[in-house]
Amino acid sequence: MTDFEALRMKGQKAEPYVCASCGNCTMVCPVFNEMEWEQYGPRGKLSVMKSIFEGKADFDEEFARKIFLCSLCEHCSSVCTTSIQLDRFWELTRAEAAKAGLLPAPIQAIRDSMLKYGDPFWMGPGNRMIWAEGIEDMVNPHIRRNASVAYFAGCNATMKAQVQGIPRSMVKIMQHADVDFTLLGEQEVCCGAPLLWTGDYESAPELANKNTDLMRDLGVNTIVFSCPSCINTWRTVYREFLGVSIAKEFELLTTSQFIHRLNAEGRLEYEEQPMITATFHDPCVSARRLGITREPRDVIERIPGVYNVEMLASEKETKCCGNHALLSSVDPLMASRIAERRCREVSVTPATLLVTECPRCKIAFDIAFNSINYSIDRLDLAELVAKCLKEEKE
Amino acid sequence: MVNLDSTEIQHIEDIVGADGVSTIRESCVAYENDVASLPSLTEQIIRKKFDLIAQPRTVESLRRLVLYANEKKMPLVPRGSGTSGWGGAIPAKAGICVNFNRMSTILHLDNFGLTVTVEGGIIYRELLMFLEKLGSTLPVYPSSATAATVGGFIASGGIGIGSAMFGEIADQILGLEVVLANGKIVRIGKLVLENDPLDENECSWLEENFPHDNLLEAVVATYGTIGFITKATLKIVPMLQLRPFACAFHDMETLMKAAILILEKAKPFNLRFLADNYTSKLKALIGYDSEMNEFILTGALMNTIYENDDSLEFIDIILKETGGIILSEERASYYWRERLFPLRIKRYGPSIVPSEVLIPLENLNEFYMEISSSIEWEKFAVEGTISKDGFTGFLAWVLDDERNKYSYLAGWYRPFEITSRAVRYGGKPYAIGLWNAKYSEDFFGKDLYYALRSLKQKVDPNNLMNPMKVFGGRVIPGRKTQAAGFIAGAIVFLIAALFGPPLLGLSWLTEFLMNPILPNFPIPVFILGSIGGGILGYIMAHLMTLNLAFSLALPFLRLMGRIWNK
Repeated sequence: MTDFEALRMKGQKAEPYVCASCGNCTMVCPVFNEMEWEQYGPRGKLSVMKSIFEGKADFDEEFARKIFLCSLCEHCSSVCTTSIQLDRFWELTRAEAAKAGLLPAPIQAIRDSMLKYGDPFWMGPGNRMIWAEGIEDMVNPHIRRNASVAYFAGCNATMKAQVQGIPRSMVKIMQHADVDFTLLGEQEVCCGAPLLWTGDYESAPELANKNTDLMRDLGVNTIVFSCPSCINTWRTVYREFLGVSIAKEFELLTTSQFIHRLNAEGRLEYEEQPMITATFHDPCVSARRLGITREPRDVIERIPGVYNVEMLASEKETKCCGNHALLSSVDPLMASRIAERRCREVSVTPATLLVTECPRCKIAFDIAFNSINYSIDRLDLAELVAKCLKEEKE
Repeated sequence: MVNLDSTEIQHIEDIVGADGVSTIRESCVAYENDVASLPSLTEQIIRKKFDLIAQPRTVESLRRLVLYANEKKMPLVPRGSGTSGWGGAIPAKAGICVNFNRMSTILHLDNFGLTVTVEGGIIYRELLMFLEKLGSTLPVYPSSATAATVGGFIASGGIGIGSAMFGEIADQILGLEVVLANGKIVRIGKLVLENDPLDENECSWLEENFPHDNLLEAVVATYGTIGFITKATLKIVPMLQLRPFACAFHDMETLMKAAILILEKAKPFNLRFLADNYTSKLKALIGYDSEMNEFILTGALMNTIYENDDSLEFIDIILKETGGIILSEERASYYWRERLFPLRIKRYGPSIVPSEVLIPLENLNEFYMEISSSIEWEKFAVEGTISKDGFTGFLAWVLDDERNKYSYLAGWYRPFEITSRAVRYGGKPYAIGLWNAKYSEDFFGKDLYYALRSLKQKVDPNNLMNPMKVFGGRVIPGRKTQAAGFIAGAIVFLIAALFGPPLLGLSWLTEFLMNPILPNFPIPVFILGSIGGGILGYIMAHLMTLNLAFSLALPFLRLMGRIWNK
């Protein structure tokens, strides 16, 4: 049994009482929309938490599993009438579950991998650069060289075969724009977000220190991220762990922000495209936490011949792909169904290309489009830009 | 009480589908509340625990569930999203929660006839989004539209956003399909459907047993006590130009005068006010000195561009006459967006006890002043929605903290006090639900109330459909209530025995009471009488109705609350 010290320490223990039970969170919750039972939605879970605090219910394994049946997409927080930071609350409740020894088995496995290998996939530093196979000539000179711009690809983009086009495209873009950049190579470790999602708040600062120390040693000023969860962790969580604002020390940019800047500086030249209609899926963290919604659209529309059409739910109203915060590890089928729901929203647009800005989203959509048997091109924003660049600058 | 056995659960699964049934405790807990947090002592008069949650998908499965519940004498409680605060969707006698989550389809849209037909479980937000894409909107929807269901709003009745132009929700309903408590499916009014297997609207049974002009009144605001709403045909209106406006006042009196004039001259779509004790608590207003601690009147016009321009000029003139300040368009838009989030105020509780009454708009200031002087200013926040019939929903959020059990319990007298004072100002409760059952007659009017009661007896003689709501009923006494009944009975007898005979000069009775009843049984009669009184009190606790329980408890709560505050 846990004493809910983590919740109390972070001033979150009163939040179930602050909940107005208005149901706004439940109506937008992707997990509730799949399960259709209140106890899977935020309002229902808060109600159970209240009962647990009052000794009327148990914080048991079954309930702990429900705490992990959440993609921390923040849609609930964004519509909460009483401004409860529900994502924060569930993260801390995960820490309580970890303390009480109630972690679901897949979550425990990810935690072990993080502690042992510094990534959530049991792959280790030796596999960190497999994405660069075949383009070593282009990549190797940039590994841990002193430069003002660093590219932090993150675990998914570097280690998962489906999305290794993303770092490869980023390298192409940087070289096209003559950016002097550096990569951490095999010394890059996970940003720590998955560790936090497993409820481990104690081990995460070590990873934070490793990454930030390396960046400092290389004289980096600007860090570009392919994964919104990574940049969010650097921007907000590292401040909490390390006591210093990393965002003040380094300039932290998402892919779209960085490309947007290169566009503004006129450093990218594009080939005319044959009338491509694209639709942009806003990753939850980018849109709701980081508030980056304009830049990716500007980048898409900057490419001649590529047009953006909006889905019904976009920007801050975006819907989750289901592949965030380890939901796909606890219940892969549910995660896939959530992605399928989003894919159906893509399918009713006239778009022939789905663009996103997150390797997790792209992986989720690759699987989901396959399962709903709908064919549409899918690219990360970096992949789209790299594909449309002129081979030779004029 | 109910507690279902495995055969019964299996049978319900056969009716509803196994994936639409849950009996696990955690699941039931999630459906047992609405927006009001109840003091734990409430469980001493009601049994606030569901035994099973059922989510039927079809009208036929709902009908069969109702028939089975009748056969097994199981209470059924309908639930949309539980966004109200009057106890209408919470269990009072345990039983089955009928959740309409899976009956949420938009069935038919008639753009020429300006109607939309939906299933009862559809969320207003989804319906509004659907309609707005096609250039229409609903004339009236609740301020909880982000989560509330159509069936839920109709079953609880009342006013909402759009009522300043279109009146009550009851006025927006063209037809309903209802599964009555006796399992009959009836169609009331004009239900517009395409390819409908039932060609004609069938309501002959209801016509025979509810001799009333408007059959819809059997269902609207009766909280599913007569029947469950499965389909509704609602009016829709073209989405014309929407122009939010907002103005600030230094006092309620000028706000009220301006509101009366604006309602008459500008004919707004929506008109809402926020009192100073509401605006003073909102952190979002920090930095807006002309709004914080002030009285805000806000709303929106919905008409043609030219009409809206004229109306805005009217508002401008009215404000000049009354002394209000018009706020910028940006601030007006802010208040328009906030119309769907009245519960923001709960952040400052963290608990709230809602109290809403309908009072004549011309009495708003007097009523507000009286309530302000009787309830601690910092403890409550008032806002309201104004209807075209000259009534205003006066919504007083009483802020408290349920973690302080005794002071929270004591504070529960306030909403009842507000309601009883409203009646004196020509008002009535906004809705009945569970807590306002004693005002049912005032709320519906005598004729309608007795017609409804008679219908209830015919359609649901065992009082299984949402028991204790609207019509009250006997409480389910918990151990504390039973003990209190016993102690009260014993004390009453003791006092009567000790002081009654001497006062009446009946010395022989005093002697009889003080002596043992038998020589070999040395216990005086008055002690035995007290035990008898206690047993009588215990029986009374079981026979007590909800309304009586409130009548007995409220003076104590009021006294307790005042002592506590001092």
